[in-house]
Amino acid sequence: MNGGERKASSVYVILFYLFLLTLWQSLYSFGAIPDYLFPSPLQVGRRLWELGWEGLLWPGIKATLVRMVIGFLVAALIGLSIGVLMGMSRLVYRCLGSLFLGLQMLPTAAWVPMSLLLFGLKEQGIYFVILMSSLPAVAIATSDGIVRIPPIYLRAAKTLGTSRLAMPMTVILPAAMPSIVTGLKLGWTLGWHGAVSAELIKSSVGLGYLLYMGRELNDASQVLGIMLVTILVGLLLDRFVFGLVERNIRRRWGLETQE
Amino acid sequence: MDDRKTDESAKPALGNGPVLLKLSDVSKTFDSTTQSVAALQPISLEVNEGEFVVFFGPSGCGKSTLLNMIAGFEAPTTGTILLQGRQVTKPGPDRLMLFQEHGLFPWLNVIDNVLYGLRRQPGVWFKRRLRRQRARELLEMMHMQEFEKSAIHELSGGMKQRAALARALAPDPKILLIDEPFPALDALVRAKLYGELQEILVRTHKTILSVTHDPNEAACLGDRVMVFTGRPGKIKAEIPVDLPRPRDISDPQLAQFSSRIMAELGEGLKS
Repeated sequence: MNGGERKASSVYVILFYLFLLTLWQSLYSFGAIPDYLFPSPLQVGRRLWELGWEGLLWPGIKATLVRMVIGFLVAALIGLSIGVLMGMSRLVYRCLGSLFLGLQMLPTAAWVPMSLLLFGLKEQGIYFVILMSSLPAVAIATSDGIVRIPPIYLRAAKTLGTSRLAMPMTVILPAAMPSIVTGLKLGWTLGWHGAVSAELIKSSVGLGYLLYMGRELNDASQVLGIMLVTILVGLLLDRFVFGLVERNIRRRWGLETQE
Repeated sequence: MDDRKTDESAKPALGNGPVLLKLSDVSKTFDSTTQSVAALQPISLEVNEGEFVVFFGPSGCGKSTLLNMIAGFEAPTTGTILLQGRQVTKPGPDRLMLFQEHGLFPWLNVIDNVLYGLRRQPGVWFKRRLRRQRARELLEMMHMQEFEKSAIHELSGGMKQRAALARALAPDPKILLIDEPFPALDALVRAKLYGELQEILVRTHKTILSVTHDPNEAACLGDRVMVFTGRPGKIKAEIPVDLPRPRDISDPQLAQFSSRIMAELGEGLKS
């Protein structure tokens, strides 16, 4: 895609979202659903503005983000280590691989009851949910990346005199990096699900809590608004942190042709 | 012992050093669950220091298997491989292999790729500046000095092979093993690389073993061409090429050698 085409397609994307907003607004104006259940975009925007003004929105976003960053870093570190072990030992791969695949079948919210039992309403419970949500994805992607390293890199490394000890840091991890980054990206998304789910029940601050509050107050505008914010923040990070890194790495590793 | 001496004196000018690599009755059989396939019949061969020996033959003749065993990627089923009297057991930078698909690491730029092997050498970690200097010299020799900071995906096919060659020469291997040099490149780039490879040969007196199925390439590069025939693989003939270097791939004299090489193979295919 060249610059011109890309610009043209961006216009279509913007038009699409404008169309969605119009559709939403006209559904509202049509009045098929009472407005306390189905607010207009304007009402949602106004409610978000109020939340921002009252000093609830930004601390909420910040709280969720801070939890996410901490929980995700721990999950990434553990997931990476386990993934490397899985990638390097067939036995570990077969045992833990099936376990993690199974764990991935669980919706992230399904960890919340367990975390309530284990941690009560303590903050650690949210970290637990984030950890369990994103760790399997990171571990699986890391091990898959390692298993699928093109053999030529390993052969080249051996013939160049790489010792067994130096292998993981100098060749295995860098060679598996494209897959690892994809796994981190997925892990971040799943962790984000987990964080908001946990906050719904366990917290007194954060996006999940604001969602919960909206429901308690029968405030559909707040519920929809916070949902939108949750999507937007997650999307922005996905696009501009993980997406950029991923694209960069894939291009450099020769997995994507340059535009 | 006396035999060997007369043998050596008959060899072309470059490869008359002492014996570097000695293969005795090296064979390879691949065992699968259903059958065992003899890939290579017992082969004995000596390679002298500074010599360029080419294994020539059709695919499936075991020539690449033999190269892999010398590199230490595979163990021979029978026989021994000695490099300067020491048995080969695993891959190492004294028998560095240059691969068909360059095998450069995409996560490192060009000069870091060249430095990679140097950094893996025990005991030289402190000589940072020396390592960098050596890497720069090699890149210069390969006419790649402007590309030292380039990413691998930015290089053309020929430049990738040159960078891979620089990386392979960096740890100063005793013998350089080349698996099908430059297969995916166009004729012009290849002709240039043949020239450069010979230049390196003359400048560094490297011992090189290479594998090819191109008779012109074999005649252009080799001091000695070992003609392999297939299934199970064995050496059918040994053809010394005593043309002066650097040789031009389009030289008519060279064509005579390549047709001789092909002729040997032709007989091998019939029998």
